Amino acid sequence: MRFAFYVGYRLLYLVPQVLLISFITFALVRLLPGDPARLSLGPLAPEEAVEKLREQMFLDRPLFEQYLIWLRNALEGNFGRSWVNGTSVAQDMIQRVPVTLELIFLALAMIFLVLVPLAIVTASRSRNRIVAFLRRITFGYGMLAGALPDFLLGLILIYVFFTKLNWLPGPEGRLGILDFAPPFVTGWILIDTLLAGDMETFWSAVRHLILPVFTLAFVYGAPIFKMLRSQMESALNSDVTVYGEAIGLRPATVFLRAARLAAAPTVVIVGTIVMFLLGGAVLVESVFNMNGVGQYAVQAIITADYAPIQAFVCFAAIFTMLVYLIVDLVHFAMDPRIKVGGTAS
Amino acid sequence: MWARMKSTLRDLPVWQKVVLVIFAGTIFLTVFGPHIGPYSATTASPADRLMPPSAEHWFGTDENGIDIFSRLLAAPRTDVTIAVIATAISVILGAPIGVVVALLESRRTRRSRAAAETAMRLLEVVQAFPVFVFAMVLVAVFGGTTLNIIAAVAFVNTPVFVRLVRSDVLSLIQQPFAEAARAIGNTEMRTGFRHVLPNAAERVVVQISVTVGFAILLTAGLSFVGAGVRPPTPELGGMIASGAKYLIVDQWWPALFPGVALGLIVFSFGVFGEILNKALEPRATRGDGHRPMDEGPTGPVPTEPDIPIQEATVPEPVPDPVPASAFAGEPDGSTLAAGAAEGPAILAVRGLTVGRWDERGAPLLDDIGFSLVEGECLGVVGESGSGKSLLVRSLLQLVPPTLAVRDGEIRYRDTDLLGLDKGQLRKLRSNQIAAILPNAKAQLHPLITVGRTMISAIQAHERISSREARDRSIELLTSVGLSDPARRLEAYPHELSGGMAQRVCVALALMHRPDLLIADEPTAGLDVTIQRQVLDLIETLAGNRGTARLLVTGDLGIAAHYCDRVAVMRAGRIIEINETRAFFANPRHAYSQHLVSCVQP
Repeated sequence: MRFAFYVGYRLLYLVPQVLLISFITFALVRLLPGDPARLSLGPLAPEEAVEKLREQMFLDRPLFEQYLIWLRNALEGNFGRSWVNGTSVAQDMIQRVPVTLELIFLALAMIFLVLVPLAIVTASRSRNRIVAFLRRITFGYGMLAGALPDFLLGLILIYVFFTKLNWLPGPEGRLGILDFAPPFVTGWILIDTLLAGDMETFWSAVRHLILPVFTLAFVYGAPIFKMLRSQMESALNSDVTVYGEAIGLRPATVFLRAARLAAAPTVVIVGTIVMFLLGGAVLVESVFNMNGVGQYAVQAIITADYAPIQAFVCFAAIFTMLVYLIVDLVHFAMDPRIKVGGTAS
Repeated sequence: MWARMKSTLRDLPVWQKVVLVIFAGTIFLTVFGPHIGPYSATTASPADRLMPPSAEHWFGTDENGIDIFSRLLAAPRTDVTIAVIATAISVILGAPIGVVVALLESRRTRRSRAAAETAMRLLEVVQAFPVFVFAMVLVAVFGGTTLNIIAAVAFVNTPVFVRLVRSDVLSLIQQPFAEAARAIGNTEMRTGFRHVLPNAAERVVVQISVTVGFAILLTAGLSFVGAGVRPPTPELGGMIASGAKYLIVDQWWPALFPGVALGLIVFSFGVFGEILNKALEPRATRGDGHRPMDEGPTGPVPTEPDIPIQEATVPEPVPDPVPASAFAGEPDGSTLAAGAAEGPAILAVRGLTVGRWDERGAPLLDDIGFSLVEGECLGVVGESGSGKSLLVRSLLQLVPPTLAVRDGEIRYRDTDLLGLDKGQLRKLRSNQIAAILPNAKAQLHPLITVGRTMISAIQAHERISSREARDRSIELLTSVGLSDPARRLEAYPHELSGGMAQRVCVALALMHRPDLLIADEPTAGLDVTIQRQVLDLIETLAGNRGTARLLVTGDLGIAAHYCDRVAVMRAGRIIEINETRAFFANPRHAYSQHLVSCVQP
């Protein structure tokens, strides 16, 4: 009941937020210097043709009406055409969004499967030799939080594992030149190759993903690791833990409950991290030539190709809003003390 | 202030000192860098392309034949200047907005709260654009001039300061000094800006350092993808980008030198923020040898904060005429044995000494000895910081990790608790030795319902089904006098009053019919009427069942009323033990006399 109420409340806010995002996106592009009709026809087109296109593009209408038209088109999945490639932006996005989502998802999975347990275990004061060893090798890792440039780590990894050792493929994209791309189903290369039953290509894709995913997870997992570890340390020293021991709860119960105490505030920063992951994916995609939506946006920015920029910004903002929403819902479900009307801080 | 800075500086680990030097070096290069390089940082020399590091070109040359070392010396000025100006703008814009939002939120009217809520959601929309992407688009749209890069970096960092200042002001505005400022006639705005905001300055300053580091990273990232500073201006991100393509063909120097420099600079700003934090935050613990009692022995007791012994500032009730030496060493076995109850001891403590785990410093509990027979109630009294709570935690074998038992014996029936391993201790706890700790609401897990806590506590010691455990919990809650127990099981601790939470803890303590109950300030933070109810409840449930009780309290009235014997603690020692009646009639120790004279004027 309380949960349903909160979901409704947050969804209510989501609608104006998404509208605002779309308006900002639209306005950004309308602020651009130059005439979109002239841009899309090129400098040599006759004036009458440009005039006609202006009418077709509703550029003679008032600004707000233009926004509504753009919004309608966007809702129908029409984000215009790239004037550099002449392709449909929506089509380009469908091809490239899964690439980026796959990177972000795998990086998050690596953070949750490796770094989160590591943070929780190394926070304990256990004298276990393995734990002590892990503590030693993770010393200082948390301090890297926010200090290590992702593109730099990517470059160093390429230099070491490709140029020097030649263990892993270099920055040649998602597959090698000799691999056959699987038919497009989900756009997630690991899934598509499995669906096609092409194990050789699947393993090639895995090898191509190792370095970019590691780069993202290592750089953006650091703040999560740092936060969770310090939260866990204070949770283990908290009254709640001492009391749990005093009433003779099982050690596993006490430990898991301390982890739960530590997890609630950590969840909040995961939203921010996912947002940074998207920004990081832009850079890492460029470094590794992954041809995802981030690299697409970078190319569009360099060539001043506005429709793709617009679509990308819109995608990024809505993606982040949804992540924030999910994170807030998880946090709300985890912590009964949060009131429905309270602002997330 | 300066003294603290100095001592912080002295206490820094070596690596942080190294980082500080790098930080200072960065600042130096920002000011002088472009003028000290051995070669020009911008003049191309095609004949010298991509020369590896040598005596002539320490870091080699890049694709245009420019000396990388010279370029590297010149580059920080670009990045750091952009970052510093942008961060300054973020603070100037963000801080006032944060204050206003917090003021709106702290007002009780519906309209202003809605305005604040809307402002926060708007902020969320701005923050929804991923920082890097947003900055990149802004630069793309408005053109890659330095001014636009600054504007973009400033804009994306502004929400950070809005949020920080807002949350700081929100918590500060409820403090007495802010209320006082308003009470003497300051307007709300003036209070917020003149009185509250300066108090938030410390955290803002720390955040500035971190944000400058982040802004440098952002600037470099933008330039790396070609949406920032353009060549030939020496700039780290651009240098890395131009070197990146040669990395694959094993020409590593054009990319790696600026890369390492960028990493070091950003890292040094982050660490500088942490050092600043340490220097500015007066309460931050330093890693020196003075970690007294305030670290752990007591939980948060709102009414009676524990004060470290070494610097005990609790005013004595009466100026102490007895020299300290009179207190020390006086209690010997014979004094303490006086008034020992008859019958077999259920708990016998001898020579218990607790101190820092590394054996440094004076012990915090010194040669404690007493015994407790079945069914008896022993009161432990003493002022804050006398070591009462540490005694409780030692008896429970839950000494804070910074401390350790150095010597002595804690004998429960026939077993020495100090010789038991963790598993054996756990079986004893709650089953035979139960504990009630101060401030029940802070003890119960805030994210777990009362029912789950109780059921898991029952199942930790008995193999019964959850359903049975639940039924037992309802019975237990009924027995401690909670109305509507089935509904209370679904409640979270924050939904209970302090009295109700303490009753839950009493139920948790007595659920396994222990032989010994150790209650540490069981009524701390409760109303006087509720205090009596809780104590009476413990008395009825435990006393009538023959459970021996150790009742720690700062309140002599409680000790007089509920205990058979009283022990007085001071500075980690038991200075007197006697039967309650005899003790109050004739306290023998000078300090006890002071204590008693306070309650019986």
